[in-house]
Amino acid sequence: MKINKRILKSIRALPPFPVTIQKVMALAGDPDSSLTELAAVIRLDQAITANILRICNSAYFGLRRPVDNVGDAILHMGRKNVLRAVMAAGLSRYFRTARGYDVRAAELWEHAVAVALMSQICAAKLSGADDPRLFTAGVLHDIGKTVMGEFVLEAWQKIQDLVEKQKYAFLEAEEEVLGVNHAELGGEIARIWKFPDEILKAIAFHHRPDLLANGDTVPWIVYLSNQVCHLMGIGVGTDALAYRAVGDVAGRFGFRQRDLEDMMARLHRSMQEARELVSIVSGHGGNGKG
Amino acid sequence: MAELVVGISDLKVSNNPADSMVTYALGSCIAVAVYDPAVKVGGLLHFMLPDSTLDAEKARETPGMFADTGIPLLFKSCYKMGADKKRMVVKVAGGASILDESNFFRIGQKNIMAMRKLFWSNNVLIDAEDTGRNCNRTLKLDLATGKVFVKRSGGPMEEL
Repeated sequence: MKINKRILKSIRALPPFPVTIQKVMALAGDPDSSLTELAAVIRLDQAITANILRICNSAYFGLRRPVDNVGDAILHMGRKNVLRAVMAAGLSRYFRTARGYDVRAAELWEHAVAVALMSQICAAKLSGADDPRLFTAGVLHDIGKTVMGEFVLEAWQKIQDLVEKQKYAFLEAEEEVLGVNHAELGGEIARIWKFPDEILKAIAFHHRPDLLANGDTVPWIVYLSNQVCHLMGIGVGTDALAYRAVGDVAGRFGFRQRDLEDMMARLHRSMQEARELVSIVSGHGGNGKG
Repeated sequence: MAELVVGISDLKVSNNPADSMVTYALGSCIAVAVYDPAVKVGGLLHFMLPDSTLDAEKARETPGMFADTGIPLLFKSCYKMGADKKRMVVKVAGGASILDESNFFRIGQKNIMAMRKLFWSNNVLIDAEDTGRNCNRTLKLDLATGKVFVKRSGGPMEEL
């Protein structure tokens, strides 16, 4: 892959991945770590602490009484949900407007949360097991767009001509005009941030899981969840429906049409419960779309 | 004047000519706009799925989610404000798809079919529509005039 030098420079200039999230990811994945250790790490980051309390008190976690400190929040949310909340609280800061895609920061973030929640709905349908990688990969799948946006904007007419007149998918037009697509660029960002390989791949191949040789289901779940959120119009821009279905995801998962419809109905409820997660990035974007 | 935003799986009706209604970025979902010019009563539904037998509980809680519960509720809510079925103008937009040769993601097509079937069996004619293809749409209904405007992704707002 030959990435345009200016684009490379932009991703290298991104702020480093928050240390707090790195530590929490490591601790949350280690069954021997204590909740006290986890709380101590989180407390060091004021912004994340504030957001954790807000998220913990949201309807999504269904607490009877509000909590006012990180220790209680962790006890109530449980290890799995702490990771989720820390990711949301810490990563939302990277979501800024992606101008070239005609999408505002709040919308891009709403879409990220929707795909993360849909990934879990999909995983629950498949096996019932909850894989913490799914939330991370779901939230970050479009991180590349936050950098690509300005380059897409510069090349807008060329990209639009390919999509409108030559039946290119948006992804293919990005590759042809800019030498890289937003998914691959997201993968590069994940590499710089030293993410585990399977999350990196789920980000980099979220539109093309068919190009991956191994049988890991995470990229396919993120792919399917993203396609459905695009169809529903949740926080998407002008590129929303200009993407291609690839491979046989229905056959792979043994899904029928009705399973897809059921996932959509479930997401509607999940998004209402996750309003606090969504509103971390402020501004317009919470309006129902579909 | 108030611009009423109709969210996903939601519907609104009004007889205030100072109002307008809007629903944003329709993908596979469909917006149904109805208007009775004689009494200036209008309504807008943004349904997501074709068939409420999928989940009876959700259909009760959120009737606007499904074509077969949302559309009847939209009409009945307008009747309550004095609208008459014979005079009602019906305009629809949405039901789009992604580029999909496998047809697994054909939810937009299913929504269009379900809506047409329902209108046909209830003797309702669609006066104007902009459905299918692979573009997002925004639909707006002006309650003073009954005019409906549709904007396709990246394009201008145009009267339907």
